[in-house]
Parts: sequence; structure tokens; C-alpha cells
Amino acid sequence: MLTKFETKSNRVKGLSFHPRRPWILASLHSGVIQMWDYRMGTLLDRFDEHDGPVRGVHFHATQPLFVSGGDDYKIKVWNYKTHRCLFTLHGHLDYIRTVQFHHEYPWIVSASDDQTIRIWNWQSRTCVAVLTGHNHYVMCASFHPKEDLVVSASLDQTVRVWDIGALRKKTVSPADDILRLTQMNTDLFGGVDAVVKYVLEGHDRGVNWASFHPSLPLIVSGADDRQVKLWRMNDTKAWEVDTLRGHMNNVSCVMFHAKQDIIVSNSEDKSIRIWDATKRTGIQTFRREHDRFWILAAHPEMNLLAAGHDSGMIVFKLERERPAFCVSGDTVFYVKDRFLRFYEYSTQKEVQVAPIRRPGSVSLNQSPRTLSYSPTENAVLICSDADGGSYELYIVPKDSAGRSDYLQEAKKGAGGSAVFVARNRFAVLEKSSNQVLVRNLKNEIVKKSPLPIATDAIYYAGTGNLLCKAEDRVAIYDLQQRLVLGELQTPAVKYVVWSTDMESVALLSKHAVVIASKKLVHRCTLHETIRVKSGAWDENGVFIYTTLNHMKYCLPNGDSGIIKTLDVPIYITRVVGNNIFCLDRDGKNKLIAVDASEYIFKLALLRKRYGPCYDGNIQIAVASAKEIDDKDHWYRLGIEALRQGNVGIVEYAYQRTKNFERLAFLYLITGYLDKVGFMCKIAGQNNNLMGQFHNALYLGDAKKRVEILENAGQLPLAYVTAVTHGLTEIAERIAAELGENVPALPEGKSHSLLIPPAPLTACGDWPLLRVMRGIFEGGLDATGRAELEEDDEAAGADWGDEDLDIVDASEVVANGGDGFVDVEEGEPNEEDGEEGGWDLEDLELPPETETPKAAGNARSAVFVAPTPGIPVSQIWTQRSSLAGEHAAAGNFDTAMRLLSRQLGIKNFAPLKPLFLDLHMGSHTYLRALAAAPVISVAVEKGWSESASPNVRGPPALVFSFSQLEDRLKAAYKATTEGKFPEALRQEVDEVKELIEIVREYVLGLKMELKRKELKDDVTRQQELAAYFTNCKLQRVHMRLVLASAMALCFKQRNYATAAHFARMLLENSPQEAQARKARQVMQACQDKEDSHQLNYDFRNPFVVCGATYVPIYRGQKGDVSCPYCGSRFVPSIEGQLCTICELATVGADASGLLCSPTQLR
Amino acid sequence: MASPDHLFGLRNSFYIGAYHAAITSSQSVPAHALISPDDLLDRDAILYRSYIAIGSHQLVIGEIGPSAATPLQAIKLLALYLSGDAGNRESAVSRLRELLSDAATGSNPILRLMAGTIFMHERDYAEALKHTHSGGNMELLALNVQIYLQMHRADHAEKQLRVMQQLDEDHTLTQLANAWVDLVMGGSKIQEAYLIFQDLSEKYPTTCTILNGKALCSMHMGNFEDAEGLLLESLNKDAKDAETLANLTVCSLNLGKPATRYLNQLKLACPEHTLVKRMSSADDSFDRACQAMA
Repeated sequence: MLTKFETKSNRVKGLSFHPRRPWILASLHSGVIQMWDYRMGTLLDRFDEHDGPVRGVHFHATQPLFVSGGDDYKIKVWNYKTHRCLFTLHGHLDYIRTVQFHHEYPWIVSASDDQTIRIWNWQSRTCVAVLTGHNHYVMCASFHPKEDLVVSASLDQTVRVWDIGALRKKTVSPADDILRLTQMNTDLFGGVDAVVKYVLEGHDRGVNWASFHPSLPLIVSGADDRQVKLWRMNDTKAWEVDTLRGHMNNVSCVMFHAKQDIIVSNSEDKSIRIWDATKRTGIQTFRREHDRFWILAAHPEMNLLAAGHDSGMIVFKLERERPAFCVSGDTVFYVKDRFLRFYEYSTQKEVQVAPIRRPGSVSLNQSPRTLSYSPTENAVLICSDADGGSYELYIVPKDSAGRSDYLQEAKKGAGGSAVFVARNRFAVLEKSSNQVLVRNLKNEIVKKSPLPIATDAIYYAGTGNLLCKAEDRVAIYDLQQRLVLGELQTPAVKYVVWSTDMESVALLSKHAVVIASKKLVHRCTLHETIRVKSGAWDENGVFIYTTLNHMKYCLPNGDSGIIKTLDVPIYITRVVGNNIFCLDRDGKNKLIAVDASEYIFKLALLRKRYGPCYDGNIQIAVASAKEIDDKDHWYRLGIEALRQGNVGIVEYAYQRTKNFERLAFLYLITGYLDKVGFMCKIAGQNNNLMGQFHNALYLGDAKKRVEILENAGQLPLAYVTAVTHGLTEIAERIAAELGENVPALPEGKSHSLLIPPAPLTACGDWPLLRVMRGIFEGGLDATGRAELEEDDEAAGADWGDEDLDIVDASEVVANGGDGFVDVEEGEPNEEDGEEGGWDLEDLELPPETETPKAAGNARSAVFVAPTPGIPVSQIWTQRSSLAGEHAAAGNFDTAMRLLSRQLGIKNFAPLKPLFLDLHMGSHTYLRALAAAPVISVAVEKGWSESASPNVRGPPALVFSFSQLEDRLKAAYKATTEGKFPEALRQEVDEVKELIEIVREYVLGLKMELKRKELKDDVTRQQELAAYFTNCKLQRVHMRLVLASAMALCFKQRNYATAAHFARMLLENSPQEAQARKARQVMQACQDKEDSHQLNYDFRNPFVVCGATYVPIYRGQKGDVSCPYCGSRFVPSIEGQLCTICELATVGADASGLLCSPTQLR
Repeated sequence: MASPDHLFGLRNSFYIGAYHAAITSSQSVPAHALISPDDLLDRDAILYRSYIAIGSHQLVIGEIGPSAATPLQAIKLLALYLSGDAGNRESAVSRLRELLSDAATGSNPILRLMAGTIFMHERDYAEALKHTHSGGNMELLALNVQIYLQMHRADHAEKQLRVMQQLDEDHTLTQLANAWVDLVMGGSKIQEAYLIFQDLSEKYPTTCTILNGKALCSMHMGNFEDAEGLLLESLNKDAKDAETLANLTVCSLNLGKPATRYLNQLKLACPEHTLVKRMSSADDSFDRACQAMA
């Protein structure tokens, strides 16, 4: 039983909960009716008009009314708002035992010792039916919650069920007036409006109470025979189902629980008993020492019960309603209806994870009390009070989410509370010995540790630490060091909420919130009159918490305030900005949006950071400042508003603080001179001469200044001022007053007057820019880039002009290209598996140390140091025939041999940095113990979560195809602009294609360089330009090259060739300017001959020799090529180093490029 | 309740690489807490080893006089060994052998620890193990783990680790050694290692050692971007931390970013670093291989 509220009073005979407000009525044996707020614990009102005990009392479901019935035979209807008894219903002839409003009709049912039950219409204030039949006191009567039935219990040992269907029909379609009289008569004699349906006999003594089941056709009754009986009924009959025995004295009252399958009864034996309604066995008994129980009441909506006894009453509930939950990252894990579930904040999705075990016993409050989650293992610890405190450990497979069929045997154990303290570790409290057992996920005990204080609950407090809670204090205990890290006196703590950074902790007890640092240094304490329920930290360090009826905030300095009022208790799980995530008592996740600006603003003030008063918020700041209304806040607001240029608010802030000097200066700089004048007046009124003078200075009002000085008695100064400003009349007047004391003015100095510049405009607030920054910048950026690219192309258009400087660009291309070609070497290659064999020759086994060291060291008498193992890099070379992997392992010689064999590469010097980088990037360095050598750890390629340990993968190479691609792009860009043509699919083809592209560029650009060198030989220049057009280039580049060749030929009067280039240029979809130029050239060249003979026959397909730059026409025999880059050469070059890639030997015999393991299949 | 270990924080700081913290906190270990002279000696040992770890070899050599206890002498030898040229090293090794052969002092755990460390530098792993293999305390066991890893004998390292786990699974050194082994073993174990470093970084102030550990795990999982972030954070803590620079070099290379600056910094800060040595020998071997091919 969880007692929520208790009163001390005279014997309580009647009780009634208000359906919505936290109020309860208690009618006393003394005749008083009390109205309590059970949440606040206060007596709201008392109604004292009955004479003698009041046994029955009931709130109306919707109206501000309640009804009472007493031993004075009177039924009174009250308006609790006006604190008045509205009227009294007379008719009963003996004590009234119970009264009850109908939930729908304006009826009251009352039971009396006069052996009748009466139904009253409280609107017409008449008795509408008298139910006769009982032949002893009627102890209780109540309406059925839905049907037209009344149940009554009497000391005549019967329970009766009455059908009031006829009465209802009459009310719905009122009979005409003529009939009414006869009606009255039948009423008096037990008419037909209400007839006995069933008489339930079975109790051996008088029956004190009977009540309906809220939804099933069941009745439960309690009697002086100390028994509780369960009855069932259908349309035609009713019968006894079972008897619940256990009470030791008269059963006073009994009822079904609205939400649980239980029956609650109380008795003069001073106990309340809870029964399982299905199994019909006792679940639990609550006993009081001295007080007999007389009455029970259930809340119509909530899970609350009340019981009245000899010396007061108690409001209680049977089971905790707080769902066990635990927040981890973006999710909250919680238990609902015997299922472990989680809720994802970002997606607001709920997922049922796994069913949890039903408790073995049926007793109450066995449901999960706390939950602890370990994200690394996806494990959940659920603690409950079952079996005197126990925990269950569930390890949830990651993929089981949503699979409701998943069932698993939980690991169990006894313990007061259990909580994860580290990865694969949880601590279980053993209260009897005041120690914790640290267990691993196999539920094995790893460690035992005694606790420093008498602990009754433990909580997480950072990895390896526990927060131990004792009755009056908490302590943070380091399990490893066995050291108390901090201790704090607090009221009994119930819940512990850590901030996300684990720097602050909120300790929630019943009526207090204590905020402390991670070392339990006290920061502040808030006291609440209402029970504190839950809380969470927002990202700014504000603690948001709930009491039963409020959501509140607590700033780091202890300032607190109400955020909103709550209708029903909620359990906050997380705060994100203005959004409060919470669980309700039904285990549903809810999102409540609140206005956070008040506490955010207060927090900002507190931290002396005015940042949050941005933009729209300054308005809120003003509102808050008004509310707070102290000088300091106004002052700070003024500063912030000034920073933002919000002149209006600055002015307002200065006005509120009467800061006239600042105000005047503000008016001056904003150009409101009239207001400065006004300030001047105010200063005058306040006798603030200095201020007045200042303002006059600001205004440039010399007369005024003179006047002020004069009034101040500073006549000489006034005189000087007047003279200086040419106010001769006034000067003379003052001079006269001064008489002989006229000060002498300095002579010979040119003076300038202190006249402030006149304001051109008076400025208001600064304009506010209300544009989303991110979008704005992004957009700008995108257009900027687009423009840039266009510019590039435009620049390229000039390329055709003769004075074009291509050298730099080509160099970049050449370099980029070279680098890129070289890189190829790093990436490739794999040969047949057999090839791997020969690497073994390089295996350098360190000298083995096999013999036992016979040192004079006693400890090592039989110790034999193991032989060193094989380094991972050696494994790489053994397995692989990719040159890059050998280079990564540092086996350069084998890498070179592979390259030489595969690609005929001869010149390795350019590859040196690449080889070294490959090698360097293949190992990371792990510092283990201080001052000991670092451990090199090999980096492997293609790591995956499921990779088995100690199985070596190939090395991760620092170069990859995507990087090559990037380099090519950079090279293109350097020339002009370009887009890498295709999406890359097949690595091998792409690598080959890349080599080809680069080869063409390198060849072309080399020829271009050559051309620049040849200043004199115009024919050769033209030839080279012409050959350049033969290279396969990107279209933009091709246009540039063609335009350049065209211009060159045209200049040299090689009109036919020039015309050919112009035609080709036009075919290459040139830009407008280029096209125009090409057309002009064509026109000019029409039918003209070449003036120089070029070795260039564009009709005959040819390739260009990479070394001599002469065309090798198709059909021409004997050309040779480079095995790596595929450049072609005239035969004389064979055996030399390829000039294009500068790597391989021209004409060498090679097996070809291998760069991917796929080629071997 | 067992008596709290007053040197716990100090040791821990040292293990996780918070050397400066170790140095400062060794000054603040309350005098009354140091009940035994052993504690005092332990404290000084860690203090001097911290100084060695931050490269203040001369300070250690200067402060430890000839009358100091054997463990401190051993530490001094390490400082001597690490600070000097070949001659210094030789004399340090021979003096070390002397101390080791002395029955009275030969079994001192700190002496053995230093012996193991020095012989490891000498790459004489068998000799190192001769003195350390029997263990005796967590540090010696951890050193064994490291020696075995250095020898590419992860299987033996694992065995040592199991011994440590039996003694105290939650000990910081056990955790660290576990992470080392996991890292070297690779595969799915890398995640384990990452989690260990993650735990340590949550529990204690982050250090270059821990950040490097995390970064290494990231790199081995192929996540070089994350690793770079961690390493830069570490570089912020100590711009001259050799491992940070070395790993940054490696990480940058793998990201396709220029790494030369880090490499040059490393060469300046720590010319003796494994990476530097490896690269200079690689340089030679490339040239040699080139000649062989020509």
C-alpha cells in the first residue's frame, strides 16, 4: 500500500473522491463533512449542518454539488463553491446509511435504517421512488454504473438487485399530469417503477455492503459473517460464485478495483484486504493497530483508493504507477504491460523489444521498479520488489527489435537494486551485508565491495562509480579505488538524474530537489510541498522537473519557477529545447512543447551572457525584465539592447532606471535633440546643474550655458562663455554685474566654438535581418561556384589567341599527369598465386633464442622465451603479388621486380615517394607502457565488424582509385575546366582508361612545350600544333588546341591547313566568339594554298611518336610501344625509357597491367 | 573495508599517460596517507618515470643521487639509456646487468620492469622476458603483454592478459593491455579496443595516449576521418607528442592529405621515433633495390 495522504479526525463513515480535482469528502461521526485536497494535504472546507453522524456522502460527477445523508434522517444537497446547503430532502424515517448521485439522471439513491431505499430527483427535489422489500436496516444502495439497476445490502442478510428501468422510461418520456397522482400512490406502496430483480441469499449475518463490478455482471458483498461473497448474474437469475474468507470481524465495505482484477475489502478487524478476483485468494493485507475500518472509496478515474477508520482516513494506491525507464542516447527504454520497449526521440517511434517475465507470486507491486541499460551490450537490468528485491538481466539481440515472439530466459538474482556501472559490469546491492556484488553479463560475480555508508539503494554515477543512497545522505563511491569521492546530506533520495555531461546531478526526494556537482558538492536545494516525480536536464544546464501537478525549472543558482500546470502526473525522460519528452502512467510516450524562453533568459542573465537575447528574444527579455524589475536587470537589458541597436529598448531601460545621463547621451547620438532639450529641463528641475550644463553643451545652446553658469553663480565663466560666443548683450550685462572682476580674455588666440554637429537624421532601431543564415550562405556559395566555372570557360575562350600563355598550365598538367601516372604503380597488381612463393626467400628469420637462458636468475630456471612471431607485413608479402602491397610492407625490391615483370618498368626513381608513402601509411603506432618502445600495428584493408581476429587482411594502401580520379580532375582544372567523364564502374577498365587519357595529355602537352621552345622553326611549330590536335582530348581542350593551331597556321599563311583546323573547330561546337573567328578564317582561306609544306596529312590516320614527335601513319611498319602507358614510338627508340610515363622501357616484354585481384580469376 | 590505495590516482594518471597530472598529484599526495616508506618510494618512482615519459631525462639523472634506493637507480639507468648516445647506452646496460645479478636487489619489481623496458629497446626480447616473465605485479604483466606483442606473439600476449584479468579485471592496466592485444589481433576485436579506450576517456580526463588509442582503432576500422579528428585533438593537447605526430602522418597519408609537415615535426621532436627510423631505413632499402634493378 502506498499511502498518499492521511488525516486524523473523528470516525470517518463516508468518503467520496472528486472526479477531476484532487479533492475528497469525508463525512464524520461527529456530523462534520470535511473537504480535503489530498495532493496538497490541506483541509479545503468543512460543512457542519447535520445533526449527528453523517454516514453517506457523494460528489456529483459534473456539477459543483455533493450530497450527504445523516442520522438526522436528512439528505442534504450542497454547492461546495458557494459553501452552502442548497436544500434538504426529507422523507426517510430513520438513519440514512448511504447516498449516491446517478451518473446521468438527476437522481439520488439513499439507503436507510427505515428499511427503504429511496430515489430522489434533486432537480424537482422530490422523491421519485421508494424501494421496499428489505426487512431490516438497508446498509447501502448504489446505482449500476451503466445499467438501470440498483444494488442494496441489508442486515436482513440479503443483497437485492433492483430494476429501475421503468423509472428511467418515465423520466425520459414523462407521463402526463393525470397519471401522476396514481403514481404517487403506487410509490407509497412499493409501486412498479422499481422492482426487485434478484434477492441474493447466502450470508449468515447482516450484509453491510454490496457493489457492482464496473463492467462485468458481478456483485461483491461483505457481511457481519466476516465473509466477502462474489455473485454473478445474467438476464434471468443471479447466483453465488464464491466466498472469500479471511476477515476476522464484520466486513464493512467491499468493492471491485476499476483497473485491476482485484477486490478490496475492509473490516472492523482493522484490516484492508486485497483479493485476486479470478483466483479468489488473498493477495495482501494491510493492518492498522487500533482503528476499525468503516468505509472504502475508489477514485472514478485514477488509481486511488480511500479508506475511513476510527480516527481518520487514508488515501492510498495499491501499486506504483511509475513506469520503469532508462534514457540512453536517443532512446528511452521502458517497461509497459510486461514488455520491454524503447522509444526513439528523433523518430518518435516506439518499438517493442522483448517480453519480460511475469512475477512468480501474485502479490502487489512486483512490477519493474527500475531499469538500467548498457548500450554497448544492449543489455537491460530490470529490478523489482519481487521475492524481496530481485533483478533480471536481459541481453537483447540487436536485430530482435519488433520481434514480439522473441523470448529469452533472463538471468536472475536477488538484490535490493542493481545497476550497470561499466561495460560488462553491473553492481547488485546486498543490503544484509551492506556490500555490492559486481557481476559480469554472464551473471558471474567479479568482485565484492563493502559500501561506505548504510545503503538502501544504488545508482549509476559514472563508469565504475556508484551513488549510494542512505536514509539521510548519498555518497559517490569509486568501486575500484574503494574511495568515497563525495558525500552529501540529503532527504531520502528517490531518483537520481545525471546531466548528459555527467557534471551535475539532480537528486530527487519526496519533497525536495537537490542539485549537486559530480563530486556531490551541493549547489542548491528546492523544497516542494507537492511530491516531486521526475526530471531531466536540458542542454543548457537547466533542470526541468515535475511534481504531481506542475512542471518546473531549476536554474544552476537555485532559481526556480513553474513552466506549466499538469493535469496528470508525468515522468519527464528528456528535454530537447522546447520539447519535453515524457512517459505517462500508462507507459505512453508523450511530447509536450513548452515555452522555454523565460528560463533561458534567466539563465542567460545568470551567466552574464546576453547572447540568448537575440532578435525576437529581446522582446521577451523586456517582458522578463519588467517582471523581475530590478535595477540590475534593466541595466543589463540596456547593454544588450544597445549592442543590438534596439534604441527603443535602450531608452526604455534607461528610463526605468532613471539613468538620465546615459539617456541624454543616447538622445544626442541618435539625433533626438528635442529630447535632449527635454532632458535638460528635467536636469534643471532636479537641480542637477552638471547634467543641465552637459545637455546644453550637447545642444550647442550657448545662451543656455551662460544662463546655467549665471544661475550657478559662476559669473566669470558665464561672462567668458558669453563673450566667446558673441553674446555681447548678455556679456555686457554680466560685466556690469561683475564690476571690476571682469576676467581678462586670452589675447591673440584664434578660437573655435564648441558647436556640436547638427544631426541629419534621427535614427531608430537598427534594421533586423531575418534570413536563415545556412540557406542564405549555401545559396550564395552555390551561385558563386557556378559563376566561377563559367568564368573558367570564358577564360578558356581566349586560349585561341596567339599570345596565350599555355606553359604554366601545361606544366601543371604534366606534373599532375606525371604524378598520376606514377601513382598507378602503387595501386596495381596481382599475379598468379604461385608467384607468392618466391617472396619467401626474403624471409629474414631473426636468430632464434631457443636454449633456455641459464642466467643466475632463479625465477627463470625453466622459462623459455618463445620464438618471435611473423610480422603482419611479412604475411602480406607472402600472400600477395600486388606490387603496391609489397611496397606497403617495405619490401621494395620485390615490389620493383613485380612491376618490372608486369609492366616493363625500368625507371623507379619517380616512384620513390610513392613507395615510401605506401610503406609509411601501412602501420600505426601504439604507445603502450610509458618509456617502452611503441608497438607498430599493421593497418589492414576492408575492415568489417564481423572480421575474425588474428586473421590477417591485405594492407590498407594509402592510394586509391578515387584519389587518382581526384588528381586527374585537378589536372583538368589546371588546364581550363572539365568534368571527369564517366561514373566509375570497373576498376581495371577505368585504370586503363585513365592511363590512356593521361598519356594523350602528356604527349600533347609535351609537344606544346617543345613548340614553345622552337622559336624559329615555324614549320615545325605548325606541325607540332597540328599533332596536338591529333591527341584525344576533352572537347573544351580540343577547341583550345584547334583554335591555337588554326591561328598559328593562318599567321604563317598555311591557309589550307588553317581552314582544315577552322572546320574541325566548328565541328567541335565552339563558343560564339570562337565560331565567328573560325568562320572568318575559313572565309579568308578559301581556295588558298599552304605556303609551307607540313608533315601533316590529316586524311591519313596516324599516331605521334612520343619521343621524336613525328607522325606514324597507319600502315607504317615497325613502330614500338611502351608496355605501361601504351605510347607509340618510332623503331629507333626501342629499349629507351619511355618519355611519356618516364617509367617503363619502350618495347619491353611485359605481362601487362594488373591492378585488381579480379583480373586473376 | 580495505584500506584505500592512496597512490591509486597517481598510478592511474601515469598509466593513461597523464604524466603532468601524475607529476603534480604526486606533490599533493597527503603526507599522512603515506604510511609506509614503500608508498613513498612508489610515489617517487612514478614521479621520475613520469618525468622520463615527458622526456625530462636530465632532470631524473640529476635528481637521483648515488645513495638512492635500487628502484630509483634503475629508473635513473633508464633515463640514462634513453637520453644518451651509444656509449651511454652501453654503460647503462652493463650497470643494469650488475644490478640484476645482485641477489639482494635483482628481484626488485621496478628494477625488473626497467630491465624489461631497456632490453626491449635493445630488441633483446628474450633477455627482457628473462627478467619480467614471472610477473609479480600488474605493470610487469602489462610489460610482458607488450613484449609479446612486439615479438608478434599475440597468443602469448593473450595468455598474460588472462593472468591480469584473473588478478583484477577492472584494473586500468588490464583494460589497457586488453586494448593493445585487441588492436594487434585486429578484426572484430578492434571494436572491443575502441570501447575500452572510450570507457577510459569517459572515466578519466582524456590524454594523448587515450586519444591515440581511439584514433588507432578508428584507423584500423578504416575510419580515417574520425581518426584525424581525434589526433588533432591530441595534437592540441601536446603539439610535440611523438605518437600523435606519427599517427597523424599515417592518417593524413591514408586520407590523401599532405603529411610532410607532421613528418618533419616528428623528425624534429623525436628523431628516434620508430616511424622516423623505419622511413630512413626504407629510404636506403629503396635506393638499394633501385640499384639492384638497374
